[in-house]
Amino acid sequence: MAKILEGPAMKLFNKWGIPVPNYVVIMDPNRLEQLGEANKWLRESKLVVKAHEAIGGRFKLGLVKLGLNLDQALEAAKEMIGREIGTSVVRQVIVAEMLDHDEEYYVSIAGNRDGAELLLSHKGGVDIEENWDTVKRLFIPLDETPSIERITEAALEAGFVGEIAERVAKITSRLILCFDNEDAQSIEINPLVIRKSDMRFAALDAVMNVDWDARFRHADWDFKPVSEIGRPFTEAEQQIMDIDARIKGSVKLVEVPGGNIALLTAGGGASVFYSDAVVARGGSIANYAEYSGDPPDWAVEALTETICRLPNIKHIIVGGAIANFTDVKATFNGIINGFRESKSKGYLENVKIWVRRGGPNENQGLASMKKLQEEGFDIHVYDRSMPMTDIVDLALNS
Amino acid sequence: MSILANRDTRAVIIGGVAGVNAARRMAQFDFLINRPLTVQAFVYPPEEGQQKEIYRGGELNNVTVYASLEKALDENPQINTALIYIGASRAFHSAKEALDARGIKLVTMITEGVPEKDAKRLRKYALEKGKIFNGPSSIGIMSAGECRLGVIGGEFKNLKLCNLYRSGSFGVITKSGGLSNEAMWLCAQNGNGITSAVAIGGDSYPGTDFVTYLQMFENDPETKAVVIVGEVGGTLEEEAADWFGAEKRRIKLIAAIGGTCQDVLPQGMKFGHAGAKEGKKGLGSARSKINALREAGALVPDTFGGLSKAIKQVYLELQATGVILPEPELDEKLLPELPPSVQEIMKQGEVIVEPLIRTTISDDRGEEPRYVGYAASELCEKGYGIEDVIGLLWNKKLPTKEESEIIKRIIMISADHGPAVSGAFGSIIAACAGIDLPQAVSAGMTMIGPRFGGAVTNAGKYFKYGVNEYPNDIPGFLNWMKQNVGPVPGIGHRVKSVKNPDKRVKYLVEYVKNQTTLHTPCLDYALEVEKITTSKKDNLILNVDGTIGCVLVDLDFPEYSLNGFFVLARTIGMIGHWIDQNNQNARLIRLYDYLINYAVKEEREVPVKK
Repeated sequence: MAKILEGPAMKLFNKWGIPVPNYVVIMDPNRLEQLGEANKWLRESKLVVKAHEAIGGRFKLGLVKLGLNLDQALEAAKEMIGREIGTSVVRQVIVAEMLDHDEEYYVSIAGNRDGAELLLSHKGGVDIEENWDTVKRLFIPLDETPSIERITEAALEAGFVGEIAERVAKITSRLILCFDNEDAQSIEINPLVIRKSDMRFAALDAVMNVDWDARFRHADWDFKPVSEIGRPFTEAEQQIMDIDARIKGSVKLVEVPGGNIALLTAGGGASVFYSDAVVARGGSIANYAEYSGDPPDWAVEALTETICRLPNIKHIIVGGAIANFTDVKATFNGIINGFRESKSKGYLENVKIWVRRGGPNENQGLASMKKLQEEGFDIHVYDRSMPMTDIVDLALNS
Repeated sequence: MSILANRDTRAVIIGGVAGVNAARRMAQFDFLINRPLTVQAFVYPPEEGQQKEIYRGGELNNVTVYASLEKALDENPQINTALIYIGASRAFHSAKEALDARGIKLVTMITEGVPEKDAKRLRKYALEKGKIFNGPSSIGIMSAGECRLGVIGGEFKNLKLCNLYRSGSFGVITKSGGLSNEAMWLCAQNGNGITSAVAIGGDSYPGTDFVTYLQMFENDPETKAVVIVGEVGGTLEEEAADWFGAEKRRIKLIAAIGGTCQDVLPQGMKFGHAGAKEGKKGLGSARSKINALREAGALVPDTFGGLSKAIKQVYLELQATGVILPEPELDEKLLPELPPSVQEIMKQGEVIVEPLIRTTISDDRGEEPRYVGYAASELCEKGYGIEDVIGLLWNKKLPTKEESEIIKRIIMISADHGPAVSGAFGSIIAACAGIDLPQAVSAGMTMIGPRFGGAVTNAGKYFKYGVNEYPNDIPGFLNWMKQNVGPVPGIGHRVKSVKNPDKRVKYLVEYVKNQTTLHTPCLDYALEVEKITTSKKDNLILNVDGTIGCVLVDLDFPEYSLNGFFVLARTIGMIGHWIDQNNQNARLIRLYDYLINYAVKEEREVPVKK
């Protein structure tokens, strides 16, 4: 899943003939003046200015301003650009035409195992949740494109009438093309608006997710996906992501502020069960982390050091299943180096370390981990005979 | 018994190095259970025609790499299974081709990061064809005692620990690869091991789901219970619960579902697997999966750690009701051991191997090279120079400061002698012909011999002979030379003479004799010889080769090493000439006709061949 910002989404809509309001994305507020000279709509329409960043709750933060003229839009842009929200900075704003409209509709497509599902409602807008019973669903089998007639039928069933139903069907069929051809996972347009005087439609707001794994076949994807965790990435998370992008195998990290049990776990599956075990036993996790696919030891070392620096941690869970091909000795060397380095920098004081692991070269790996006891680490090492997540129980009962 | 893979399975691996590694692991399993090699062919166009060495125990097999699947199947019609190990951008095409192939019934894909749409299409395509597409992101499929597809099961030792050499009573289906191995281990430790284990992969839309495999296990009489390991995201676990609850099933179902921690984590957070993501309104949450499975009658422990107990409980129940009959334990000692590599046996001191070569100067087995024991970086740190490295590698001794200075000067004054001499000229001609540096320099290097630069060794050798055999009898030495060798190497010069001395010789002799305390019997002897030879002919002076040779003998270098100094020094010059010609983009050289004396026969007719 990769959520993309409004700007790139609008660009893709444009590419596939889905009507969008006029818009510009700018980094320098002064550019707006020049754009105003060049574009009539900027001078004559009411405008909306929004921070073009992955920041949740933009409206409440004052990062969305409505009903502005060009001068006011310029002011709003100046105010927003450079504002710091938590660890992120507003670098771009999107300035769009606020289309006067008569009605708001809802159109969305979401992929599923057998194809995708189209949702249509003539009662879109902020109240869509309350009007959920008006939503008409249409299943679109994989690699099939429903005919205009079929979509029109669905639109009529969804409460659209006459010419509007036909026009909505036409826009929808283009949306399906866009969905299919851009490897989208979901597109939600809410609202799709209409100005009846000139029958002009526009997708005023849209959320789009694309399949980031498919980027190799989309030369024109000039954007990056936005953080999916509802907040910008921290410096440590960004650092681990950068390493992840460079190596064979993977290392992953998400910080969870306030927790006191750190996870340094191996494997996409096992790591989740370790998080679960902590939560199930009433503990609070300080992070989610995972390394897998036999990553190089230096990458695991970097992940280890990052985790040792998490504030207020009491335990570190070095857990993992019995690996198929990740070398336990090599990855543990990375962890051991990370522990030593962290200890020499004053971290890991009063932190208990719990280890359980199996896999290639498990005996050597576990033995060298155990040796850390001699260096004054409070470390408890178990082999495959210890049930996988039971070290979490031991930690929480200690 | 088993599902999906058995003793009749024969596989082709589509992909490069990762596929070859998998084939090697698979062959270890083939060896353990004494079955024929599972992997019969590779498909990887860049390495077409190569053969990969695959050991089944001590038996070496050569498995061919084909450019196309069609070709591989033409020559190996017994293949019925394909493993996809190729990159995400080509995985779809390869898998589709494999699904199209007539003999192939099962395609399993390890590739990660495959676009969802591709996976969805492959799933649909396989269904239409009535074949199985497993994965993407699947670590593989294991049928105990029968067949291993992929690296599932890990290292050889683990195959034994998990009882994978013989069939048990538990089926395993997991999304995660690591947990498939863990689950197999749990079934061996707390029960009697597995029949088959399938990793379906952690993507959003696995090609084949829990239900399909559950139905296969239900139809496999040897499988008495199935362990599934699922996680948050999608609805495959709910479907498994529906299937299990729909009617009375022969198999018992045990499940572990990951992702209950989702509630306390940042919303929308991505776990390790692409598919591990909760939908809107709690759809696909771990909690809803656990509830559905429990309601359907499956045993679902609170944490993964609880799986051990759950498996044991089911195992004991099935034994008590006679569904699983007690089986005699197999003595693990009867199982074969992987033949160790020569290195491993040598480490244990159980074999003697006669070394092929012997070295006394250099060792690179540690963190850095050591020259006669000294670490290179430590030499640098302690102020030693290239002269000292020469001393170590050529003579196994660290020279004194004075000696180093002499060595340095010898190399400096010999580094180049202009473009006209044979060596430099050879390199220049090669450079002008567009030849690359190493070859051009060796073209110059081939000139070094008896008439050019190669007299150092012989000069040193014979003057040393003179010092030892004719210490106070230079005419005797010259006479011996005349009878046994010929002209004295190191004596004589084409242009230089007593009146026009070689500046380099003068400098070196003066430096060694006046500014160092080196004892120079050989050099002194040569200078005495020069006195006599120059009295006969003006240009029979001690030349630079002779001087260097004598000084180096006095420095105690082995006599056969002496030419090395000229070779080393002149390499610097020849490289310089090569660079110089290239900097100038010099053109190809051809000798002008007027520089050649064509001393040839007149033009004439070729006679008829007799």
